[in-house]
Amino acid sequence: MSGKNCVAIASDKRFGVKYLTISMEFPKMFQATDKTFIGISGLATDVQTLMERFRFKINMYRMNEERDFEPITLANMVSSTLYERRFSPYFVEPIVAGLDKNNNPYINGMDLIGCSTTACDFAATGTPEDQLYGTCEALWEPNLEPEELFETISQTIMSATNRDCVSGWGAVVHVITPERVITRTLKTRMD
Amino acid sequence: MDSFLPVQVSWTPQTAASGSDFYPYTNNAGTVAGISGGDFCVMAADTRQSFGVGYLINTRYQPKMFKLSNGSVLGTSGFYADGLTLIKRINQRLEWYKHAHDKEMSTPALAQLLSITLYSKRFFPYYARVLLGGLDLEGHGVVYGYDSIGSYEPCLARATGSGGSLIQPFLDNQIYRKTPLGILQAPHTLDQVKAVMRDSFTSATERDIQTGDYLELFIITAQGVDVEKYDLRKD
Amino acid sequence: MECIFGFTGKDFVMTATDSTVAQSILIVKSTEDKSRALSKRILLLFAGESGDTVQFAEFIQRNVRLYEIRNGVELSTKSAATFTRRELADNLRSRKQYSVNLILAGYDLTTELPSLYQLDYLGSSVSAPFAAHGYAAHFLFSIFDRYHRPDLSLEEAKALMKMCVGELQRRFLVNLSHFTVKVVDKDGIREIAI
Repeated sequence: MSGKNCVAIASDKRFGVKYLTISMEFPKMFQATDKTFIGISGLATDVQTLMERFRFKINMYRMNEERDFEPITLANMVSSTLYERRFSPYFVEPIVAGLDKNNNPYINGMDLIGCSTTACDFAATGTPEDQLYGTCEALWEPNLEPEELFETISQTIMSATNRDCVSGWGAVVHVITPERVITRTLKTRMD
Repeated sequence: MDSFLPVQVSWTPQTAASGSDFYPYTNNAGTVAGISGGDFCVMAADTRQSFGVGYLINTRYQPKMFKLSNGSVLGTSGFYADGLTLIKRINQRLEWYKHAHDKEMSTPALAQLLSITLYSKRFFPYYARVLLGGLDLEGHGVVYGYDSIGSYEPCLARATGSGGSLIQPFLDNQIYRKTPLGILQAPHTLDQVKAVMRDSFTSATERDIQTGDYLELFIITAQGVDVEKYDLRKD
Repeated sequence: MECIFGFTGKDFVMTATDSTVAQSILIVKSTEDKSRALSKRILLLFAGESGDTVQFAEFIQRNVRLYEIRNGVELSTKSAATFTRRELADNLRSRKQYSVNLILAGYDLTTELPSLYQLDYLGSSVSAPFAAHGYAAHFLFSIFDRYHRPDLSLEEAKALMKMCVGELQRRFLVNLSHFTVKVVDKDGIREIAI
């Protein structure tokens, strides 16, 4: 979710198999660069494999180029990594969110084979996608300041996951500002 | 989104006669929502009627909410023909009730009647997602939410139909004010509820292709039912 | 029908596997050890398709050992879990995949902390204070939610393990007569009686 010179990304913390919850400490996002995060929803094994592969590629890029990925470059890397597996895809839907070198927000959502969509407002994936989009549409407005953005994205993810029986069990929110990344965990319903 | 599949579709008298792949349902979709207040109830629905998976629009203005003879309002989405049939049956029963008892049926009684009417077709259901709004015996607003086969519950705020999954969490957020500490229900004025309703539908219309064109609000108070109409996106 | 589970204590991990080998409706053996030691302080429990299980576990075991020989250092539990997970995940998209569910229990001397990883056949890995696979999970997670603490002493852990085994033997349809219970701590891996 984008704001005024800031972006926020949030995920729930549940890991489960069908209706059996196995872990409540499984956030689906990781920090790619100082000002960029990748969030991946979908099949847990692919989420983990891709996090490892992306981390490797990001580190290689940093060493080769002696600079960090720009969010748009990162999104293209993620997209082409997914498209490499066009005919036996990873079952994931990633979101790239970050600030570019001019501190403008950048948000990108993808399908499982890397068809990417850049959004100026917000992107959502996962089992409660409908609920997230409905709530985002209603609560979000342009040019939110970091604290307002945090409140908006928190309300959104809590309301949406509470209407999805396989999501929730806690949530994590990262708000990325030019100066720093603010990370907070949310207590939510545990059922 | 709409994963409900009717139990018995493999055989109908029609399929037996024609031998074709006749399917007795279609989905005309649309969204209905209701919010109950202290002494009022607001029901809302869009007026778009689409066909099948939703790429075809039959009409941009076909109201799917109906004021019943006892002053409550029934909103339907899903298969429009089943919705109409349901309305006809319910109105018929309301009239019989009036002649038998010389009074109008109360909304809670109607809620139960609607439930058993839906359940009476348990194995060849009305493919309609309905919402019933009105005032209870004390004059408080009530909204009843249903599934296609008659399970129902009274609720403060409820959304159903193609945009239901988009609107419901927003209503939870604005009306129930659900928090980890429990439900902190704020008192709502009629104007606030109307504003929430309009926001809900403009939002749902942004993302749901089967919702749009016009928004109808039915405002139910002790004085009667007011109808208001607003524009929604038409694309 | 196989049960493998484990949980962490203050400075150890306690694990259990049922000892039954069954083929169809027949019990073939009731003293099977469904675990392999990956190193001195890392234990791998496995359940799944017979054949795959031992084959995969010993493959991991040998590769972890190879790493030790080549590099002269032991793998941490986390590293072993990451390696095992990746082998499973890569294997998932091969012609014939392993069908093995695993639990990795270890004690790290560097951090002086016990750790436990639950891996399923798809290659999803979770670090958790307690883990269980198969039908056992449906019976045991609620017991762990209620009675597990991260600072359990060995005696308390034994009592918890008795509750788990007792629950399985009381409520689970399948008769699992004997469980192999092991403890992993700073002194290594040992089997205990409960």
